[in-house]
Amino acid sequence: MIRRLFLFYGLAVLAAVSFAEYRGWSLNRMDEVPNVPRSVRDNPGSYRSVYGFYHHYTGGK
Amino acid sequence: MSTSGPASAGMPHVKSLNCPGCGASLTVRSFGNAVTIICNSCHSILDAQDPKLKILQTFKAKANEDPPLIPLGSRGTIRGVAYEAIGFQRRTIQVEGISYSWHEYVLFNPIKGFRYLTEYDGHWNDVSILRSLPDLSPGEGSLKYLGETYNHFQTANAATSFVLGEFPWQVRVGETVQVSDYVSPPRVISGEGTRKEATWSMGEYMAGREVWKAFNLGGQPPAAIGVYENQPSPLGANVKGVWTLLGVFLAALLAMAVGFYSVARDEEVFDQTYMFDTTPKGEASFVTDTFQLKGRTSDVELTTSAQVDNNWIYINYALINQDTGHAYDFGREVSYYHGYDSDGSWTEGSRENRVVVPSVPPGNYYLRIEPESDPHRGTITYTVTLKRDVPQASFFGIAILALLLPAGILTWRSLNFEHLRWAESDYGKAPDDGSLLSSVENIAGSFKSSGDKE
Repeated sequence: MIRRLFLFYGLAVLAAVSFAEYRGWSLNRMDEVPNVPRSVRDNPGSYRSVYGFYHHYTGGK
Repeated sequence: MSTSGPASAGMPHVKSLNCPGCGASLTVRSFGNAVTIICNSCHSILDAQDPKLKILQTFKAKANEDPPLIPLGSRGTIRGVAYEAIGFQRRTIQVEGISYSWHEYVLFNPIKGFRYLTEYDGHWNDVSILRSLPDLSPGEGSLKYLGETYNHFQTANAATSFVLGEFPWQVRVGETVQVSDYVSPPRVISGEGTRKEATWSMGEYMAGREVWKAFNLGGQPPAAIGVYENQPSPLGANVKGVWTLLGVFLAALLAMAVGFYSVARDEEVFDQTYMFDTTPKGEASFVTDTFQLKGRTSDVELTTSAQVDNNWIYINYALINQDTGHAYDFGREVSYYHGYDSDGSWTEGSRENRVVVPSVPPGNYYLRIEPESDPHRGTITYTVTLKRDVPQASFFGIAILALLLPAGILTWRSLNFEHLRWAESDYGKAPDDGSLLSSVENIAGSFKSSGDKE
């Protein structure tokens, strides 16, 4: 019973990895924005990035 | 005492006699085969071989003596043979001042003879006398029987503390005999007596529900407590199978990784170097030329390399589909710091950053790039590189962990089961036979001993 469960579990893991690789999944967080106006091409400053107000790390010891 | 004629196939005949001590009626079920009979009224042990039923011993039973779980006279089928429960005894050993008692049932079939059931804390064993002697190793650490090795588990002096019914030997309450158990789950070989003269028997573990079913007993059997010496591990057989499957899955993962890495496009579609003047002077954002992402929906890996030195640059990216207007919005920071202090030289951060944009459909795309940094830090040169359809090793790593985790838990539980088994032995740990458990216990023991030394 346990071996059969592990068999199905393992096959599911392999299937998930195959699908993730085939579809190009990523572990990175990404925001998607629909319908960006074509005018951005001519006026890049008109686009408001989701990360525009990111608090920057100024680094160093 | 007279016989009731030759025993025929089937169940034994029953004969009624009277106890010479108290006159109470005695029920004899294994007539002609029993050596001693116990009167349930006055607790006299009678010589069944004597026509006058000579009293051999009289003992006092406790008022709260546990009755047999299998009532004497109950009939049941063990391994296809009908037996009747005719005798019951409780035996007790002392280990470190603590008494441990188990119960033994004498079963009888007129053709097959005697068989025994033992019960301890809800654990049952089907026991029969060995017809040949086991091969006892010199150190008595193990013995061999029919090609199988049995490891020594425990040796103790067992005293008979209560008897009831009929027995095929001269039973006495208070009689003590040395008992040694050697286990190879689900079997146990027990030697009773001295090294020169011993009776050897083999027990095979039975679940209480099997006994209940065999004797058609009402209610539920008492729940098994703890792990018994020859109790088969519910996980033991599975562990090997699971690790075999794990090996197959890991090989399959490796093959998949080779396959994905060999067929992936891993194609560089964009590579540009830019200069960012940190002096504030108007809009910093700009867009790139259009580039084409080919093939099926797959990932895009963006690498930002910046010549930062004790500085940082943060870039807002938007990967925008020129035709649909669908954008992937993200930001990446590249920062690199270094210096020297009392601990020596140090560095922090990296001049390169990678990010994978997931599941990007094919099409014509451009990047909107908006760099930021501390003002008045000069010019920062940075390079943006885009690659299409790059295999992600992280998923293979996660898959390995996902496969290892249940196999590891299963193995740990199996080892824990064996540890609990051997904790009850004379040694308190598994025999040093090269098994995984003994290796783990040896490692744990060496850690403990080194800790004690410190």
